[in-house]
Amino acid sequence: MATDFWVSSHYLRWNVDSAVLRQARAEDIQYVDHPEYLDFLALFFAGLIAKLGKKLSLRQRVIATATVFFRRFYLKNSYCETDPFIVIAACCYVAAKAEESPVHIKNVVSEARSLFSSEATTLYSGIKTFPSDNAKLAEMEFYLVGDLECDLTVFHPYRTLMTLCWKEGSDVISEAEAGELGAGIDDGPRYWGTGEGKLEMHEGALQMAWFIINDTYRSEICLLYPPHLIAITAIYMACAIHQETRGDIEKQTQSGAYAFSGSQGSQGLTRRSSRPSSSSYKRQQPQDIVGFLAGLNVNMALIATITQEIVSLYALWDRYSEDATTDSARASLKRSASGSRPEIITPGLLIQLLWRMREARSADLSGAHSTPGRPVAVNKMLERAQAAG
Amino acid sequence: MTHQQNTLNDPMKMYRDKRDMARKRVTDKYAIQGFISSGTYGRVYKAQSKESDGRIHAIKKFKPDKEGDVVTYTGISQSAIREIALNREISHENVVALKEVILEDKSIYMVFEFAEHDFLQVIHHHSQSRTAVPMPVLKSLTYQLLNGLLYLHNAHIIHRDLKPANILITAGGVVKIGDLGLARLTYQPLQPLFMGDKVVVTIWYRAPELLLGAKHYNKAVDVWAVGCVMAELASLRPIFKGEEAKLDAKKNVPFQKDQMLKIIEVLGTPEERDWPGLKNLPEYSSLQRLDKYHDRLGEWCRTRLNSKEAFELLRQLFAYDPDNRLTAKEALQHKWFQEDPRPTLNAFASLAPNQGYPQRRITHDDAPSMIPLPAASQAQTQTQAQQLAQVQAQAAHLSQQLSTHPHSGKAGSAASFASLSGGAAGVGSGHARKKTRLG
Repeated sequence: MATDFWVSSHYLRWNVDSAVLRQARAEDIQYVDHPEYLDFLALFFAGLIAKLGKKLSLRQRVIATATVFFRRFYLKNSYCETDPFIVIAACCYVAAKAEESPVHIKNVVSEARSLFSSEATTLYSGIKTFPSDNAKLAEMEFYLVGDLECDLTVFHPYRTLMTLCWKEGSDVISEAEAGELGAGIDDGPRYWGTGEGKLEMHEGALQMAWFIINDTYRSEICLLYPPHLIAITAIYMACAIHQETRGDIEKQTQSGAYAFSGSQGSQGLTRRSSRPSSSSYKRQQPQDIVGFLAGLNVNMALIATITQEIVSLYALWDRYSEDATTDSARASLKRSASGSRPEIITPGLLIQLLWRMREARSADLSGAHSTPGRPVAVNKMLERAQAAG
Repeated sequence: MTHQQNTLNDPMKMYRDKRDMARKRVTDKYAIQGFISSGTYGRVYKAQSKESDGRIHAIKKFKPDKEGDVVTYTGISQSAIREIALNREISHENVVALKEVILEDKSIYMVFEFAEHDFLQVIHHHSQSRTAVPMPVLKSLTYQLLNGLLYLHNAHIIHRDLKPANILITAGGVVKIGDLGLARLTYQPLQPLFMGDKVVVTIWYRAPELLLGAKHYNKAVDVWAVGCVMAELASLRPIFKGEEAKLDAKKNVPFQKDQMLKIIEVLGTPEERDWPGLKNLPEYSSLQRLDKYHDRLGEWCRTRLNSKEAFELLRQLFAYDPDNRLTAKEALQHKWFQEDPRPTLNAFASLAPNQGYPQRRITHDDAPSMIPLPAASQAQTQTQAQQLAQVQAQAAHLSQQLSTHPHSGKAGSAASFASLSGGAAGVGSGHARKKTRLG
């Protein structure tokens, strides 16, 4: 299972397409002026998960798992009908257990409270409802695990990145994430492609790929694409952005190597793969990166699509600011001429939006417009009838 | 209270109501036939699906958390999360299949395929009837156990609690490894394994590297346990039956002197030359203080496992050096499995029809509140009562059957379904199968 992605719950039940995603936001979208706000909310919530995770000293992989749980939960629920803040806390709590690095429930409650209810900062002062009772969080965990259909094992791109690029002594990943190597680790076979060969990246490029993967969790990319493709996209983007790596590639392609990169690349791969201890094998030439990527046997058109999605995420992110001072001044002044949408989106604004969405939804449900036959509405009517009687 | 106020006070109430309404209850889907066993984790029931196939299942209900008399949410235990998370991903002929998980009224129910027998029950049956486990059965059980273990190990799962009570067998003679409550994924762990659970594997089945305090261990601990189980099938009693030393007041793990002694009495005192790195283990000095013994496994086998190849296999399953111990894969390729009698898909295939093992015993639940009766109509209640009467009659019948054997007072391995994590409930042999959990 740990090696077989293709029979995992992740692949079989939780890889969704954009139509499913649209359907999941069908209720929320009625309460926002522009669909874009929902993307900002997705960005904002993931940021909160990362913040809470850091406060709880969770590793990056645990934070990633928590974020995936959050996204999966909101495939079945609406922002406007739930309290995303307690969901966030429950996601962190369950993810820590699922990744075998549990934290005590009371720490999660107190850290979440201090993050979400802190009166000192104006940033989150809108969030006042976070409960102090451990049982409330445990209750949320219970329902969350139900909505996750008990599928608690998540695959992440980090693993592919490590399998493809990790090398002995690389401090980017070994320090940051690998934990105790040697404690029962053996490299399983890669679950896709040819399963052979490693890409030797510059330290900086590798780090960049790692950060790009971190960033993908700010959007819904983790629901849409399998993790190995996200990893390859991150490598591809890092190669294109990282100065030295790009320089290498340009040299290779200009010297005409590119024309033969296919055959050279595959030759290079076979040579390396025939030697398990590839690190001892000293290359005369810098590795043919383009050839390596081409030899991965994955759908490059899909890699291009994911690249587009990540670029769009960065474009969106540019218009998001957690700088509290922009809250009052810049955001309200800088409204685009074309509409009423502010150019800079802040957490304060998003919290207000969320409150408005929730209130409007609540009013709709309790008002005359509630759809008959909805279990919730019926229930509410019963409750009122009982209260009146 | 108006709807809006309600939402502000408890913004998730509407969500929960919605989920509660949609939820199918355990008793809507299954008819509980009786109680199988209990342990520290909770209780296990035998139940029949109300779907048309009417399949039999074992439902494991985790103990709900209580504050005084009020059942409350305190968070799902690490062990439950583990067992659920792993079981949702795996699927193999020789591993107990999880059909579904039902979350209801603050309780977690795991619905497993039912298995009529288990290794412990088979061992008891033979020890009570003073007969040996027939070689074709013994070999098939061992083979299928290794086959299930190979699957788990390939999936990077260490079971960490293999013992006869946890290894089930269906009526059709198919081995099913159960109870992944202590199992762990070892693929790229975020922290070393010993950080999570300080003590793993029931004492009699615990590998020497664990007894000697190794900080890093691997799949080889399961292979050691398979060796112990195979030996137990052959001799009908645990091969290394040590007394467990208790944790001290500070919950420090003591050196398990008696258990180590039991091992070296049979296998001889380990030497640096068969186990490089032995000297660096934390409890090496404790080991040095024990009397020295010679290897007499051959002698042990002569009276119990009359096969040179079986002895060879056992020898390699009991290699002291974990790196030298056979892997599940290597064990499956061992010559013993290639010589006659060959292992069979139905482990009981060689048995005559009257030679079968008794059915798993079920009893009337002495804590009936564990599975709540539905707020039912009179008719339903009547059906339930009838079912209960049936169950009781069946149980009485079974105990009659059992009492024809000289020492069958207790429920025997009926109490062992899906393991007794705490060893709390009675096991037929009268020995509590102990395992301590920490952290």
